[in-house]
Amino acid sequence: MTATVKYDEVEAGQEIPARDFPVSRLSLVMYAGASGDFNVIHWNERIAKSVGLPDVIAHGMFTMAQGGRFVTDWAGDPGAVVDYGVRFSAPVVVPDDDQGAVITISGVVEEKLGDNKVVVALKAYSGDSRVLSKARAVVKLA
Amino acid sequence: MTTVSDGDLEALAERLIAEGEVRGEPAADPVNLPMIRHWVDAMGDTNPIYTDPVFAAAGVHGEIVAPPAMAQVWTMPGPRGGKTTRSTVDDLLAAVNAAGYTGVVATNCEQTYHRYARLGDLLTPATRLTSMIGPKLTALGQGYFVTWNVTWYDADGEPVTEMLFRVLKFRPRTRGESGNGAASREAAATAAREAASRPAAPGATAQAEGGGPAKGSAGPGSGGGRRPYPLKPAKNQDTEFFWEGVAAGELRIQRCGDCGALRHPPGPMCLACRSTATGYTVAAGTGEVYSYVVHHHPPVPGRETPFVVAVVALPEGVRVVGNVVDCAPEDVGIGLPVRVTFQAMDDELTLPMWTPLDEPAGGTR
Repeated sequence: MTATVKYDEVEAGQEIPARDFPVSRLSLVMYAGASGDFNVIHWNERIAKSVGLPDVIAHGMFTMAQGGRFVTDWAGDPGAVVDYGVRFSAPVVVPDDDQGAVITISGVVEEKLGDNKVVVALKAYSGDSRVLSKARAVVKLA
Repeated sequence: MTTVSDGDLEALAERLIAEGEVRGEPAADPVNLPMIRHWVDAMGDTNPIYTDPVFAAAGVHGEIVAPPAMAQVWTMPGPRGGKTTRSTVDDLLAAVNAAGYTGVVATNCEQTYHRYARLGDLLTPATRLTSMIGPKLTALGQGYFVTWNVTWYDADGEPVTEMLFRVLKFRPRTRGESGNGAASREAAATAAREAASRPAAPGATAQAEGGGPAKGSAGPGSGGGRRPYPLKPAKNQDTEFFWEGVAAGELRIQRCGDCGALRHPPGPMCLACRSTATGYTVAAGTGEVYSYVVHHHPPVPGRETPFVVAVVALPEGVRVVGNVVDCAPEDVGIGLPVRVTFQAMDDELTLPMWTPLDEPAGGTR
């Protein structure tokens, strides 16, 4: 995978470049099966719209997990995430077309803690919507 | 419909919270490679630490581990349920539904990973109902924030992962009985019940996350066939650019075509140089509450009282009047940092409003 990020080489304020994570209806069907979360609003357009949603929306835990993966890939050590919390601030709307949606995630090293841990603040957008807010991960670096 | 009062709910919540942590049944299967493979496939995550034993052996864990975000997956009951043990969260959510708070959106999830789960770990969840706060007026309607914590223990009784999960259970806003309002409300209630039946299971988490107020279910007359919002803004040649901006998701501020001074509300002539040449700039969309009132009375068509009307000072130097939403009126104060949010009032009208920039835990956005 990526090179391991070293605690001593990281500074508060350091930015982690944005990455795009595509989400299609296929992703949601696969995630429903893999996660055991079959809530209809994640695959049934008719019911999603009937409850006032614009269309089928991605599982919040899917979006959250992509944020975790973003941090993990950056740290280069999948054993590194210690704490991770988010607020679900807007849905990721996934239209039934060839493109689907894109979740764009970027981060910044907000604070260096002791014991080789750093706090990474994440931003996640889908289009103009901020889909995660107050998203922070505590990561233990090498 | 309402057979359980708010008082009953609060008494029940207190009793259930006092029960503390309640153990659920162990996962149907131990942590295993096929389930990991399905999950990382869905995520598009190709990190071999989760699937390649040779690669993983050389890594920090020395063996394959499960992605930490799979925490709740191991004990999800699946669409057929099959759960036999009761949980305090199930009990409370059932009562909250019975009290008419049938809508649900997930608002928060926090996870702590004591260690990454390894192949063969048999995880057992224990769920603790933590709090029920409300009723609060939110952009989605009146509701309670219900929070619970789940800890997954390994076979030795050591915690592997902890999770806090919070949902807003809200009473879907009532609409007129005309058109398909009643039908769609019933559909909404059905889907909401279905959704609400899921998170209660220990570890069963995600449902209508982020049903953000601007995205549909919030506006008066949400759902299919929205009821037209009764109050329409006056649009004229001076303000047309502003409303076109709103429709495009921009907060536009009029700017003098000659001296460049900004002014709001829009008008025909520059107050600084008397020029009638006009243009506009797009505001950053942030500001802070300069002053505000909480409107309790009289009733306003299409709105639920109380609501906040604020004068918001923009960094660009002008002040804009608008509602502050997504938080309780008592959480609004002078100096509160806010950002603009575009609220769909019906199928055609969108209004710019303001939402706390850094909402306290327990908001809906």
